[in-house]
Amino acid sequence: MSMRGAARATPYLFLAPAAAIMAVALLYPVAYMVYATFLDWNPSQRIGEAEFVGLRNYAFLLQDESFRESFVVTVKFAAIVVGAEMVIGVGLALLLDRRIRGMSFFRTVFIMPMMIAPIVVGIMWRYMYHPSVGPFNRLLKALGLEPVPWLSDGSWAFASVIIADVWQWTPFIFILALAALQSLPRSALEAARMDGASEWQQIWLIKLPLMAPVLVVTMLLRLIDAFKVLEVILVLTNGGPGLSTEILSLRISRTASEFRELGVAAAMSNLLLLMLLALTLAMFFYAKFAEARAQKQRRVAAAAAAAGA
Amino acid sequence: MKQSIKQAAAAAAAFALAGGPAFANPYAPYAGDTLVVNFPFSPHYDAVMKIIPQFTEETGIEVEVDQLQYLKMRERQTLELTKDRGDYDLIGYVVFSKADYVYADQLENLARYFMNPKLADPSYDPDDLIDAYVYNIGFAGGNKGYLEGKTGSLFGIPFGSETSILGYRTDIFDKHGLKVPETYDELLDVACRIPQLEPGMGGLSSRAASGHHASHAFLLHLAPLGGRIFDDNWQPIVNNAAGVKAAEALKTIVDCGPEGSETFGFAEAGAAFLQGQTAMFLDSTQFAGQVNDPSKSKVAGKVGWALHPRGVRRGSQTGGFGIGIPKNAQNKEAAFLLLQWLTSPRVDKMIALAGGNPSRFSTHADAEVNAKFPHMATFGEALRHADPDWRPIIPVWGKINADLGTSLSKVLTEGLDVQEALDGVAARTSDVMREAGYYTWD
Repeated sequence: MSMRGAARATPYLFLAPAAAIMAVALLYPVAYMVYATFLDWNPSQRIGEAEFVGLRNYAFLLQDESFRESFVVTVKFAAIVVGAEMVIGVGLALLLDRRIRGMSFFRTVFIMPMMIAPIVVGIMWRYMYHPSVGPFNRLLKALGLEPVPWLSDGSWAFASVIIADVWQWTPFIFILALAALQSLPRSALEAARMDGASEWQQIWLIKLPLMAPVLVVTMLLRLIDAFKVLEVILVLTNGGPGLSTEILSLRISRTASEFRELGVAAAMSNLLLLMLLALTLAMFFYAKFAEARAQKQRRVAAAAAAAGA
Repeated sequence: MKQSIKQAAAAAAAFALAGGPAFANPYAPYAGDTLVVNFPFSPHYDAVMKIIPQFTEETGIEVEVDQLQYLKMRERQTLELTKDRGDYDLIGYVVFSKADYVYADQLENLARYFMNPKLADPSYDPDDLIDAYVYNIGFAGGNKGYLEGKTGSLFGIPFGSETSILGYRTDIFDKHGLKVPETYDELLDVACRIPQLEPGMGGLSSRAASGHHASHAFLLHLAPLGGRIFDDNWQPIVNNAAGVKAAEALKTIVDCGPEGSETFGFAEAGAAFLQGQTAMFLDSTQFAGQVNDPSKSKVAGKVGWALHPRGVRRGSQTGGFGIGIPKNAQNKEAAFLLLQWLTSPRVDKMIALAGGNPSRFSTHADAEVNAKFPHMATFGEALRHADPDWRPIIPVWGKINADLGTSLSKVLTEGLDVQEALDGVAARTSDVMREAGYYTWD
């Protein structure tokens, strides 16, 4: 090999060990999972003993009503919680982006739910929703109102898991939104104020558009997370009543442990993975697009400034 | 070398114990060995833990116990049993694992141990073991593959098994002059009268949460009301008149039960009864140990026990745990000695006195045990009516069980029509059974 060839190969040589570790640690398990989707595999068998069934697991899932129901529940859940969390989280950030006494204390309090282990969150809310001793129903009864069947009615149970998730994860959006707000160029805001923009105009026309790249990434991160949520729902409702809160990750876990169908569970995981992959790609392309647009704007601004001078 | 020293020491110990070479100690060859066993957390096994040190004392065989929550235990075992060399010498298993483990050839057939004169204790008295438990939990390969029958054999011994029993509040029943229900009609009538007589109190505490719990509660009523999941040709008949009646019974019980009982699991149903929120409890005998424990119960001393009411027949549940020896165990013979010791008449009684669930008729009839636990005689009577076929123990049951449980939950919470729900379960069960090859011979 020539000197130049060797020099060109050097970086790849240095990268090789890391690449090898990535391949083994990251790709191998994924490949294993994808391979398992083609098997009729129960957990009492070793993977080698499982029968190869081609696409049967996928075909089964596509006509399985329970899977479809749980898919719809998952999409509905993710859309509603992320929507609600975005509105509340960003709203709170806009409200609290100012100098108030004891602000750092409040900020810490606001992000506390996020730090609690999900199983504990589940147990806590399960107690609060308890039909007779839970604080919610006791309060309702004390006010002379009808108690609410928080977890024992399909629609209420769905609302209850949404409330718990919004409670836990709004702070995530809140801190990211607050960080984004605080890094906005003050000059733009000052200019807007001097031009007489009202508070609302500042929010709609200046703050939100400038925060948009951060918000979109935050939203996609939350969406990915919401598609995979398991513990809180497991503890709160275990998917019930009926299948009203049986989210995909819960169905995957039940398929593997209760139904003992590892192949079908793998196929479901794979579909979930593909969906999340699509979301991640969307996030990636949005970031690229936003960057390109920002660069173009900067160029236009620079050109305008140059022309003005 | 170390092994031979150990054996020599063991032989010396055996000699000392037996008093002479003519009465060899059957445990001697294994003295100094360590058995690793996997047991669930349950009141029965908690009692067992108090007795195990005595085994070591008597035999010189050490025992290490890995105790896990029962579903975690099942997961662990599933992985453990597929290994070439397993870590566990003896396992406690959930009754529905029997089908999976035996079908995957992962449990030792116990015949060759009971045939081995050096291992089998002549005073073991196998006929004293409760029939329904043995067939339900330990037996495989008989009728339908999971019941008693000429083609079956023994893979485990019931240990920590349970049946269903009716607990009722004697104070409430006395106060209103109520008769303890003996039939299903009486049961449903009383269950719905109690909320009127005692405002704020539910009739009967039942589990009903979506999935396994709702299914279990339904099955409790299905057998006494004359129903079954399958006919003799594996065709689902869960949607026949008896099935509908059982589901309606469940709905009545839940509607007249304590507030929020649609989401109760076993623990919550039990807690509601212990907290005095309901007047009756109909479920596993496993629960009985807590009733008179004042730290857990507000109804201590106020609970009477009666047989699971009769529908068109008697048929209380059979369930709980058994113990068996994994195929990949390292110390199978010593494990058998432990299994035999734990389930022997003498130790069965010791465990019962420590708060466990006995597996033998003699223990249920024992005067000392009855003096300490007066309910034991009723439980012994209940066992005569225990139904080993109250639910099918086949590998695909997990899936059918989940479907049944979610459909019933829809009946209880979303007002789905009973017949429609059960018809759906029957149709889907039929597909599952076809897929699993049960109709190959049709």
